[in-house]
Amino acid sequence: MSTDNHIWQLAESFLSGSMQEQEVAMLEQRQHADPAFAAAFQECVSLLSSLQNSGKQANFRSMLADISQQETAKQETKTRTIPLRTHYLRTAAVAAGIALVTSFASVAIYRQADHSHKADVVQLGKLHNEVEAIKTNQHQLNQKIDAIKANPPAPGNVSGTGFAVTNNGYIATSYHVAKEADSLYVQVHDGQYYKAYIEAYDEKNDVAILKIEDKNFRFSKTDVPYTFANVKAGLGTRVYTLGFPGDEIVYSEGYISAKNGLRGDSVQYRLELPAAPGQSGAPVMDEDGNVLGIVTSKESASEGTTYAVSSKAMMQLIRSLPKQDVIHLPKANKLNNLSRENQIKKMESYTCVVQVYK
Amino acid sequence: MYNPINTEQQLLAELAAGNRPAAERVYRQHHPTVVHWIINNGGSESDAEDIYQEAMVILYEKSQSEDFRLTCKIGTYLFAISKHLWYKRLQQMQRQPGYLPENTGSEEGRDWIYEDEIKVHEERESHYSQLNQALNQLGEPCASLLRAFYTQDKSMQQIASEFGYTNPDNAKTQKYKCLTRLRKLFYGVQSK
Repeated sequence: MSTDNHIWQLAESFLSGSMQEQEVAMLEQRQHADPAFAAAFQECVSLLSSLQNSGKQANFRSMLADISQQETAKQETKTRTIPLRTHYLRTAAVAAGIALVTSFASVAIYRQADHSHKADVVQLGKLHNEVEAIKTNQHQLNQKIDAIKANPPAPGNVSGTGFAVTNNGYIATSYHVAKEADSLYVQVHDGQYYKAYIEAYDEKNDVAILKIEDKNFRFSKTDVPYTFANVKAGLGTRVYTLGFPGDEIVYSEGYISAKNGLRGDSVQYRLELPAAPGQSGAPVMDEDGNVLGIVTSKESASEGTTYAVSSKAMMQLIRSLPKQDVIHLPKANKLNNLSRENQIKKMESYTCVVQVYK
Repeated sequence: MYNPINTEQQLLAELAAGNRPAAERVYRQHHPTVVHWIINNGGSESDAEDIYQEAMVILYEKSQSEDFRLTCKIGTYLFAISKHLWYKRLQQMQRQPGYLPENTGSEEGRDWIYEDEIKVHEERESHYSQLNQALNQLGEPCASLLRAFYTQDKSMQQIASEFGYTNPDNAKTQKYKCLTRLRKLFYGVQSK
């Protein structure tokens, strides 16, 4: 038993560095002479140092946990102090005021439109993200008030969906998404942003053609794989769409439920197709991969009723352009023999988010 | 005035000694950057806290060795280690190779230079947890006695009175007995 004590004592004083040089030398000699002792001694030393270090680490960890608790408690009380906030409150108040005015103004505009068709009581909710934008705006302001952190670039006030007309950067979308834009950005499949401008628009039919500024831009290596339907498709035609209600591309499917759209508008289709804000401007595809139209609005009274402008309106708009702007529409449909999944996979590269700053 | 390198070195030395004000300062200085980054990269607040504390433990462990010298700033080190830990956790959680820094440009690839340090840390952690298991198997009063001495930093005098030994020397003898048993458990060897 005493030899046990001895070896531990040796290990302890060796570790603490309190040994005299002579003792250390003796210890080394003994280890040379007696390998069994050397092994035992090394084990003792490593066990002791592990014990000491793991003890220290445990202490450090509990200290860290304590500091972390203390800091979060501090932060919580910090957000309740006033001086920093008052400055931002004014900004917030101004922003909220502007937001209020804009939302009232847009209500007024829609009201007017409704009055011009007295017989019609259908309430339309334009499919853009104005309310969402106000929310995010407020959220950002709150964040600024709570803690002054570096914010990521703000999302556009309004966002919609667009899709390629040509591979070199002509894009079709809804006019109401892009109208009155201060600046337009298009986020393509790989996440990159490109600045764009409105090339042409047809307000009555709610169609706009955008062009990406970058001349070298291409959606993909290959040409646009879908074609645009020249004639209107029939009642009951199965359709699907790809749009960006949020950051992610969303697929939904449905069918043509009426040949004419809102108030008998023959340029439009009435669809039974779930759509969410942000999907304005999304392509309406048939099963063979032809673009039949562009999602424009939804009926707020019923869940799945959506209206789309037929691709005819878009073709007319393109034909009306001056000669030098001729857009070469894709002629070959490369989607018609593909399964739905593969069609979507191809489509993804040609569908984009349209971010609008007003 | 202090040379900034000197102050960082001093700060590290104090951190190594487990000095609370130093730890608080380091913690506070680099907490926002790391937490912000992890939240921006798909983590929750508690994930971020977790990772950041782990990174600080790694820094602490590194600072324990005498020849330790940081080749970069404390903040840079903590940030790189935190990033690395977070990538690793993401990898374990969803096995998504897309998140690996190898695919996100050469600049981020440099974070992998700490791969070895994190491996060492992981090995140390598993070593400590084995030790802890052995301590648990040891039973009472040995487990409590060793913990009181090595973790709670109590003196033999204190331990003697708490555990009911007549004097510190008796407590010390008991401690050596416990250590011998622990060594047997941990290394599975017969002591002579």
